[in-house]
Amino acid sequence: MKKFKLKNKYRFGFPKKRGLYDPQFEKDSCGVGLVANIKGIPSRKIMDDAFQVNSKMDHRGGCGFEENTGDGAGILVALPDNFFRSEASVLGIDLPSFGSYAVGNVFLPVDDEERTKCYQIIDETIKSEGQKCLGWRDVPVDADKADVGPASRKAQPVIKQLFIEANSNLTQDEFDRKLYIIRKQISHLIRGDESFNEGKLFYVCSLSSSVIVYKGMLTPAQLFPFYPDLESVDFETHLAMVHSRFSTNTFPSWDRAQPNRYMCHNGEINTLKGNMNAMKARQGTVRSDLFGDDIEKLFPIAELDCTDSGSFDNVLEFLMLSGRSLQESIMMMIPEAWQSDKNMSDKKKAFYQFSSSMIEPWDGPASIVFTDGRKVGAVLDRNGLRPSRYYLTEDDNVIMASEVGVLPVDPSKVIKKGRLQPGKMFLIDFSKGEMIPDEDIKTEIVNQHDYEQWNRAIVSLDDLKAEKEAEYISESLISRMRAFGYTTETMQFMLMPLVSELRDPLGSMGNDAALACLSDKPRLIFDYFKQLFAQVTNPPIDSIREEVIMSLECLIGPEGNLLENDKNNVKRLRVDNPILSNTELNQIKNLTIEGWNTRTIDLTYNIDDGLEGMKKRLEEICSEAEQAIQDECSFIILSDRNISNSVMTLSSLMACSSIHHHLVQRQLRTKIGIIIETGEAREVHHHCLLFGYGADAINPYLAFESLFQALQDGSLTDENLPNNQAIVEAYKKGTKKGILKVMAKMGISTLHSYKGAQIFEAVGLSDEIIEKSFPGTASRVGGITFDALFNEQKRRHDLGYPKEEINVTTLPNPGDFHWRNGGDSHMWDPKTISSLQLAARTNNEDAYWEFAKHANEVSTKQSSLRGLLKFKSNNQPIEIDEVESEKEIVKRFATGAMSLGSISTESHESLAIAMNQLGGKSNTGEGGEDPIRFKTNDDGVSKRSAIKQVASGRFGVTMRYLTNSDELQIKISQGAKPGEGGELPGKKVDDYIAKIRHSTPGVGLISPPPHHDIYSIEDIAQLIHDLKNANRTSRISVKLVSEVGVGTVAAGVVKAKTDHLVIAGHDGGTGASPLTSIKHAGLPWELGVAETHQTLVMNNLRSRVVLQTDGQIKTGRDVAIAALLGAEEFGFATAPLVTLGCIMMRKCHLNTCPVGIATQDKELRKKFKGKPEHVVNYLFMVAKDLRMIMAELGFKTVNEMIGRVDCLETDIAIDHWKRNGLDFSKILQPAEKIFENTEVYNIKEQNHGLDKALDNELLEKCESAIKSGEKVSFDSPILNINRTVGTMLSNEVAKVWEENNLPEDTININFTGSAGQSFAAWLVKGITFKLEGDANDYVGKGLSGGKLIIYPPKESKFTAEENILLGNVALYGATGGEAYFRGIAAERFCVRNSGASVVVEGIGDHGCEYMTGGKAVILGETGRNFGAGMSGGIAYIYNQNKDFDKKCNKETFEIESLMDEDLEDLKKLITNHFNYTESTVAKNILENWSDESKKFLKIMPTDYKRVLNEMKTKLQSNG
Amino acid sequence: MGKTTGFKEFSRAVEPYRPAKERVLDFKEIYTDHDDEKLAIQGARCMDCGVPFCQSGEGCPVYNLIPEWNDLVYQNKWEEAFDKLMQTNNFPEVTGRVCPAVCEGACVLGITESPVAIKNLEFAIADKGFQNGWLKPHIPQERTGKTIAIVGSGPAGLSAAQQLNSVGHSVKVYERADRIGGLMMYGIPNMKLDKSIIDQRLEVMKVEGIEFFTNADVGGEGDNSVSMDDLYNNNDVVLLTTGATKPRDLPIPNREVEGVHFAMDFLRTNTKSLLDSDHNDGTYISAKDKNVIVIGGGDTGTDCIGTSLRHGCKSLINFEIMPEPPKERADNNPWPLFPRVYKVDYGHEESREIYGNDPRVYSISGKEFLRNDDGTLKGIKTVEVDQNFQEIPGTEKDWEADLILLAMGFLGPEQYTVEGLDLETDERSNYKAEHNVHQTSDEKIFAAGDCRRGQSLVVWAINEGRAAAREIDRHLMGVTSLK
Repeated sequence: MKKFKLKNKYRFGFPKKRGLYDPQFEKDSCGVGLVANIKGIPSRKIMDDAFQVNSKMDHRGGCGFEENTGDGAGILVALPDNFFRSEASVLGIDLPSFGSYAVGNVFLPVDDEERTKCYQIIDETIKSEGQKCLGWRDVPVDADKADVGPASRKAQPVIKQLFIEANSNLTQDEFDRKLYIIRKQISHLIRGDESFNEGKLFYVCSLSSSVIVYKGMLTPAQLFPFYPDLESVDFETHLAMVHSRFSTNTFPSWDRAQPNRYMCHNGEINTLKGNMNAMKARQGTVRSDLFGDDIEKLFPIAELDCTDSGSFDNVLEFLMLSGRSLQESIMMMIPEAWQSDKNMSDKKKAFYQFSSSMIEPWDGPASIVFTDGRKVGAVLDRNGLRPSRYYLTEDDNVIMASEVGVLPVDPSKVIKKGRLQPGKMFLIDFSKGEMIPDEDIKTEIVNQHDYEQWNRAIVSLDDLKAEKEAEYISESLISRMRAFGYTTETMQFMLMPLVSELRDPLGSMGNDAALACLSDKPRLIFDYFKQLFAQVTNPPIDSIREEVIMSLECLIGPEGNLLENDKNNVKRLRVDNPILSNTELNQIKNLTIEGWNTRTIDLTYNIDDGLEGMKKRLEEICSEAEQAIQDECSFIILSDRNISNSVMTLSSLMACSSIHHHLVQRQLRTKIGIIIETGEAREVHHHCLLFGYGADAINPYLAFESLFQALQDGSLTDENLPNNQAIVEAYKKGTKKGILKVMAKMGISTLHSYKGAQIFEAVGLSDEIIEKSFPGTASRVGGITFDALFNEQKRRHDLGYPKEEINVTTLPNPGDFHWRNGGDSHMWDPKTISSLQLAARTNNEDAYWEFAKHANEVSTKQSSLRGLLKFKSNNQPIEIDEVESEKEIVKRFATGAMSLGSISTESHESLAIAMNQLGGKSNTGEGGEDPIRFKTNDDGVSKRSAIKQVASGRFGVTMRYLTNSDELQIKISQGAKPGEGGELPGKKVDDYIAKIRHSTPGVGLISPPPHHDIYSIEDIAQLIHDLKNANRTSRISVKLVSEVGVGTVAAGVVKAKTDHLVIAGHDGGTGASPLTSIKHAGLPWELGVAETHQTLVMNNLRSRVVLQTDGQIKTGRDVAIAALLGAEEFGFATAPLVTLGCIMMRKCHLNTCPVGIATQDKELRKKFKGKPEHVVNYLFMVAKDLRMIMAELGFKTVNEMIGRVDCLETDIAIDHWKRNGLDFSKILQPAEKIFENTEVYNIKEQNHGLDKALDNELLEKCESAIKSGEKVSFDSPILNINRTVGTMLSNEVAKVWEENNLPEDTININFTGSAGQSFAAWLVKGITFKLEGDANDYVGKGLSGGKLIIYPPKESKFTAEENILLGNVALYGATGGEAYFRGIAAERFCVRNSGASVVVEGIGDHGCEYMTGGKAVILGETGRNFGAGMSGGIAYIYNQNKDFDKKCNKETFEIESLMDEDLEDLKKLITNHFNYTESTVAKNILENWSDESKKFLKIMPTDYKRVLNEMKTKLQSNG
Repeated sequence: MGKTTGFKEFSRAVEPYRPAKERVLDFKEIYTDHDDEKLAIQGARCMDCGVPFCQSGEGCPVYNLIPEWNDLVYQNKWEEAFDKLMQTNNFPEVTGRVCPAVCEGACVLGITESPVAIKNLEFAIADKGFQNGWLKPHIPQERTGKTIAIVGSGPAGLSAAQQLNSVGHSVKVYERADRIGGLMMYGIPNMKLDKSIIDQRLEVMKVEGIEFFTNADVGGEGDNSVSMDDLYNNNDVVLLTTGATKPRDLPIPNREVEGVHFAMDFLRTNTKSLLDSDHNDGTYISAKDKNVIVIGGGDTGTDCIGTSLRHGCKSLINFEIMPEPPKERADNNPWPLFPRVYKVDYGHEESREIYGNDPRVYSISGKEFLRNDDGTLKGIKTVEVDQNFQEIPGTEKDWEADLILLAMGFLGPEQYTVEGLDLETDERSNYKAEHNVHQTSDEKIFAAGDCRRGQSLVVWAINEGRAAAREIDRHLMGVTSLK
């Protein structure tokens, strides 16, 4: 137990920023629960139940390397008056009546002197606010009894309770406001005081007259034993809210445990930076009669050093205590997706619209439970990204938690089983003693005022009178295009496809071009920013299929007072699409609305003023903006229109962000709208950056003009684009789609919240620029200064307005996308490609050296960070013979995940053969694998990919597939397109590919951006657990992409028990991805690997995991650098493809690869000339290359090298005007060992806890069935802690019955209870599971032929079809089998089903999304957005209420009536359903078949229908 | 760009030459008129590669923007294509006709199919530019006051002249022959490159301000000699672009016999007489009614064949010491290297048409010239050689011939030009200067083209001329905007 020790300096809170580690990226996620008595009757039982609930969600919380140190657990209860009254009297305190006193739980410094100082400050503050401090109570704690781990003990604060008596004049509400003011002040005074050593230990858990919070760095099971108060029989409550935390680190922190003061939160606020900035800015405009001048004492509203949940709590508290109800405040902060909801009432929409004029959504996945002691409620985010289930019992108890089954309840007493739906709220009002449904809560609120009437004050763009049509080309177009950095590629690859295809254009093969900070070309400042994206801790959104929750609509211009529902607040300009046409901009320029004015701020400055001129102008525009506000302007337009021969212009981005931050700092930002009129921004990435740094709208006039020109000169020939007007419309539409996608990547659904959220990381910008213009943005390697920025700007300007009279009739082509001679450097240039091919084909070492030399010294050096590093030997060189052999080294090599589908069978199999021959590992990619390849050929050749990838599309992820693996890789993100799913164009889906993927030939496949079973860190723990159950001998891998904070995410994933981690670089290849993503998302692996290694070592987690990296690794030098930065395995993808013949055509997405690699075209595939030997030859040469470097550096084994950053240094010999500012010290910072005995590479195995699995018992009982197919049948109880039941069993069956051919119903198991998550995941044929009870999320995930039957307990009195039976994402990625559910399933039912036949009695939102096969019968309601992206299979909807039409997403399917054969099919399924579950719904339908059957609709995907018809015709013609 | 699936739909087709039997009757160009539609289809075959090897160092030496103009041709935007072409290539009208098309060797489509007909497209674009008057003089706005003397008016010298002049330097070009153009004028016969094309180009260059001096033999001894010292002293830089004009000889017995000529003498006199008098002055070596043997299988050899046929020779044989090249690339000659494969050039085709057989004989080497009793040429004794050029005993053979033309390549520059300047040379007698630097051991003297790199292609000469101009400009001005 004392094995690990924490070094003393890390006792309190997180380590500081060090190297690449930055505590601000720490994330957490959790299980939440609530137990309450609706009538408000306190009891001890509520406490005991709450303890049970929390302990049963232990698996949702996390623990570090110490089993007994938790991430945090806590409870919020209604203040137990009797308990405190007696405790106080022991201390000689006589408490006044309930409501007139408050108790606070306070964490205090351990140091006596500092603590005394705290008491003084607190006492004085209470006094000065006119209240009375009654005294302090020592909170009893018992760390020994609770077996609290050493790390937690060491960080434990002194915990005391503070009693305050209210001034007798105050009402309880007024008293609460006083308490708020007191708490804010003491927090600011103590936590903010640098003279305290232990100031950060000080924390007020709660200070309230109605509730109290107990929490700490504990596991859920430790909470009660640790706080004897909670176990005291007198401690009674009518309400208990519990929380268990899963954090991404192992650092001690007591105050980050939840609940917070008013709420607890399972989720993550993605838009935090923007929300915080906006709140800061609003401090300048908020006014409240309730606080008067005291309001100043509350600032900052959002405290600086808390988590996202803490900040949310701060703002919620602020809204609530300034006069709004708890539920209204919540509605403002987490609005439903109202903008495009066809089913929402106008009144409600009006309320939401009104509230959007005052505050932006706090966006991100969230399940929030909130209370003020008088009411308790819960709410889910707009997209329902967290589970929340509840039971209501006869005896007025309600139990709500992230899972069902957490508390044993007599089934006969349950009267309602429900769930929270996306955006919906539930509320218990103890004073009324009832539970109030969402609709009622909201109806009351939305009727408070006539918001519809009020909203008429909103001005829409259409209301403004157009001055005149302004869509035409102005003078000197080419000059201006050149000066703003337009190239032929801008037109060819970005703008013209954008307007033709109405989407962000696609490309392929990744980005191998130079980073902007290494490029010799004058790059736009936009290129220095990389988009961040959600991975693991929260999901990206599918902005296309789930468009219903996305919105660009914003109200812009001056905001009103947040604290008052004043009708004048809403007088703002509504912009539906923030990309403005020239005409629209003119309208805003020439406003005629009363009280509104617009001022244009000119961004240009005299060319002769040079750098100083630029800096000066940057200062000036900030003052000009401030002046505009003083002059009561409503909008400013930042314009670079005046660029000319003699004047240069500030970058619109730099100008926008500088002004935005300037105004935030001065608390003025919400008083004005910022509009950008720019020639610079034209791509989606540009627009996103401008919004991310504060712009409200953009007029990209030059993009328009250049397209008008293309139309005029005949380059743009698209019948849909006959005129300029059409081009503008198309541009707006295409960019809209692109912007939504970039937002969605980060899990953000509204532009309103995305604005100012700064979801970017800079690469290669110096602190000078960051501090001045982009404060708060990570820029970890330093970089160029204003000087270089000016130079680049000047060079571009000179291109447009050259001094010499040269021809400026055409655009340059600097080869950013495609290589060009004299253009930007690319890592794959003609020389690297041709010499590598020669080396690999002829096993020619000389050619390899030529390749490696060129790659290392020219292409890599000019393009990547590692090019600027060099080796520094601290050891004596050794003989090469002493270095471990090439044969050993190549085992560390893997080929990248390239799906069969994205590449041809020939290429895919060549890679597999090569890697098997080598002893390394090949990767299936996400397209499944033909089972034929699982067996080794007679000649010993094996085409089986060792790594089986499990990606979000779950294509071909069957139990058989999982069984035949050595590694199972969960692809969270990939370098070329992090935050997005794969895209396989329809052209590449031939019959063979479609068969393996269980999809429809000819229909493009899109993997969802998120894994629908990973919305949080505890979800990935679950999937890791599932996969480990599916194949216990496989190691589980998680693939992440480098971005700031990836180390923290990685630490969380290691805590979630992954065995293996991949940190991919941004430059990896792809078969198809939007160019915006290829170019601008993700970061180099050098940063990611170093950050991950540093963070894992700091957390003492590094030894539990193997770390791999990939992304344009080509030579031994690349491998050596990766190892020295911390990686022990290495992935290669593009290079092996090049050895097989790839010549970087970048046409993968078009299916026209002329060398037969990235194509399914039969003719082109014949041209494939690659051989497995080519790959083998190459990788052996890389290994040799590495050995030579190892010998020189004195390393005998790769393990010795890992993390040895002391053997690297910056290559100062590289002379380049941009590179001077680059600073690698953070990358080269040795990892710090905070805990003793920390190992720095993988030496131990994760404990997956499989010994506790219920399947161990099942296996025993099923032994004979598995061996010989003998029938077995038995009963088994089941609890929510029994997770992934049936998967291990299926794995064993799959090993014996390889063809999935165990006869139906061989194994029959009857369960009773509440099943844990992933019940019956990948259940194979021959197994039948019956469950009487209910189940959690992921039921039947990956169902692989098994049969699954679930129905409610027979003794339950509720109506089955009206109650929730199973959780979210049931049957995700099912490939076969049957399932019958008597009851309602929650959100995302049958997502990506590709073969299972299913009957259910009602489902939540997004049902049958992306379904490609199988059948779904829905005998009840569907939620919104049914069938989005469905391209195969059939759904039958029992449309009893005739409202299906409004709820479905008809883009890919048709609604048909049923034919005879359908009816037969349907009847059979419903009959089965009745037979298995005794469903009364089924019974009624069958009994009245002729009438009821007419109510069914058939959902038929258009493409599926086409293919079926084609097959029919084929059969007929053959027959 | 191009058409995404163009390469799958269309086959390679190059514009045909005039019928062989017809074209051998005159010295007019062998080409037929351009067909825009067919050319557009060829443009559509371009795959718009992510890494266009055609325009890389592995392909076109002047980095022509090939994917760009392939697409523009496909789009029927000829003038823009001409603009793009002129950005990188000073004489596309020449390379479009005579370049062996290294680009096509590196064309990615060539890995699995026939490459895009790049050369043909270049040819057509250049012709369009000339015919439509898109070729316009670009007169520099300001003069730098720097003067540069260029010795030799071949493609290296002329491209350097054009480049240097464009940035305002004053350029004088010295040519020892009576006409400007070097190899482009007298090396390449008229049927391959009509000399009026050169004239048209020179007219433009003159308007741009470049001065030309013909019959100006720098460092020579005759009446038309020009003093190297004068050039050196009166200019800021002297650029040597004298070519590699020292022919490789065949030093076997009876070499001195009458009737054995260097190919260049044969070709030069032929073209001069043609231009001066339409062959009426008789001042050329005629092959009429002669049995002709051409030794050497390169382009010059082919030009000798074509010229002899046009003179009306009696028979024609072409010796090549190398073995017959394979039909497809050998393993040691992989893409994107220039393919060494069997090809039928215009001369070979004409010979086949007229005599019914290909004139080429491979793996053969001359042993001795045979002479008639009267001292005139009787023929040549040959021997077959193996791959290492070792004679195979017992394979001697006598061949009858009245005219033997030696087209065996060139050794290096004629050094008299720089006699006394003490310039360093390399082991092959070329002026020593690094590629892309071009400064010789004398900092005022630069060298480019064949006299620096050794015998090579027109397109390489252009590459060298441009690079030298860029470096000279940098040398003179400190910076350069030349590419």
